[in-house]
Amino acid sequence: MSVTPTLTEEQWRRLKAPARRERIFRIASYFSPLLLLLLWELSSQFNLIDRRFFPAPSAIAGTAWRMIVSFELFEHIGATLRRVGIGYVMGAVPGIVMGLILGLSRPARRLLGPIFSALYPVPKIAILPLILLIFGVGDASKFVVIAIGVFFLMFYNTMGGVMQTPQIYMDVAKNAGATRLQIFRRIAFPAALPSVFTGLKLAAGSSYIIIAAAEFLGARSGVGFFIWASWQTFAVSRMFVGIVAISAMGYLTILALEALERRFVPWAKH
Amino acid sequence: MEIVREMHAAAAEALPPAIEVSHLTKAFYDSEGDRVTVAVSDVSFSVARGEFVCIVGPSGCGKTTVLRILADLEEKLGGTVKLHSTTPPAMVFQEASVLPWLTVSENIAFPLSLKGVSRAEQEARVRDLLALTGLTEFAKARPHQLSGGMKQRVSVARALVDDRDILLMDEPFGALDEQTRLVLQQELLRIWETTGKTVVFITHSVDEALTLADRVLVMSPRPGTLVANLMVPFERPRDVVEMRRDKRFWDMTYEVWRLLASPARD
Repeated sequence: MSVTPTLTEEQWRRLKAPARRERIFRIASYFSPLLLLLLWELSSQFNLIDRRFFPAPSAIAGTAWRMIVSFELFEHIGATLRRVGIGYVMGAVPGIVMGLILGLSRPARRLLGPIFSALYPVPKIAILPLILLIFGVGDASKFVVIAIGVFFLMFYNTMGGVMQTPQIYMDVAKNAGATRLQIFRRIAFPAALPSVFTGLKLAAGSSYIIIAAAEFLGARSGVGFFIWASWQTFAVSRMFVGIVAISAMGYLTILALEALERRFVPWAKH
Repeated sequence: MEIVREMHAAAAEALPPAIEVSHLTKAFYDSEGDRVTVAVSDVSFSVARGEFVCIVGPSGCGKTTVLRILADLEEKLGGTVKLHSTTPPAMVFQEASVLPWLTVSENIAFPLSLKGVSRAEQEARVRDLLALTGLTEFAKARPHQLSGGMKQRVSVARALVDDRDILLMDEPFGALDEQTRLVLQQELLRIWETTGKTVVFITHSVDEALTLADRVLVMSPRPGTLVANLMVPFERPRDVVEMRRDKRFWDMTYEVWRLLASPARD
């Protein structure tokens, strides 16, 4: 429908220039971390930094490669992913449900809100010994400590999302004859969905923090355990492999969540 | 032949009006300031079946409150409200009330989907309303891709989708530019003439009230109460642009403005 007016070459170039600059910067942005790695490699090779603490990236990559072909790395990654995955779901589902309930119901918020406010600031790592005591040193204690951390982030983000829902959406639903359950499912939940995703991303980040610490203390497997064990044997390049592995896991998890967000929250601007 | 017509007239008279409001009062309590604000005071009016009534008044005069009480979104403090209708009234809201997570079609189908109407029936009904409101090519669009005027078309279509008898409209075109508003007013008149619904339309625009209504109720500022009940004489169907050439339009505009200006002395 739109009519394209005749523009001169020069005008086309000027119109397209910002987009082209943007593309160049985007390509460059992929390389800037590589530049840092290169700097590290050179400083390490030329002994500008202590090689015992900061082995060259090439040396770390060599260690990583050996661990990949021996499958040792994947065993640890698998153990950690399983704990994070199960604990995450165990925390996220009740967190979202409670967030929706307290977001929608003022009486529930008045009655139960203070309980959550009082429990939230307790550092999750601080109660790990207690959880180990109750649930033992097996995986159950890892699930629980992650679930607790995830629960609060999901709960507060979901509740905030529901409470920010414009009243008019609720009125629309009531006028259309919605039941309370329909308002819950068809209005409160989708309205809170952008906040739910913010919560999911925050919770993913903190899950990896919690699992690393939890595996330091009481585990025979997992990336956290592996980092700790490497420290104890002063295997610094192995330690770096563990750090990179767990960071990459966190990063990929958040990328996956962002992809899901684009899929399920298409109305929010990204 | 003559007798039949008389019987019809008699039957029409025997039918109660669609809406009967008497001595309606509403107040809000503000616990922080320990203050009571009377929003609506002793309002009585009735609306006949198929009638188009506009309530006009300055912002804060309680006209929206009256409408929200009719829609059962607000509880009245005193008085009686009677709706003689088999269906609850449908509401078209003030601001963009289109649900952002649904497409245009899904928004229009929303009331039907809550009632568990079959998908085929929903689609057929939505198709009709898309055509009626000129939205057919936007069926799959998301609300954030629409202009303000388009969004209000969606709201109107949604309010019509389950074919309720009474339509309550709360300044639906208030946020639109004048040109778009004229276009939508004309379309609303066309839709109303084909559907024969009872309409209560709230507006702060005297111009809009005279353009649309059979009857204009004028409300005074807080505490809101009715100060006039004016019949609008223009014949139907109306042309929203042409009717501005009619001298009576401007005489009535003047009259309503005088009514609105006079109680503001306090």
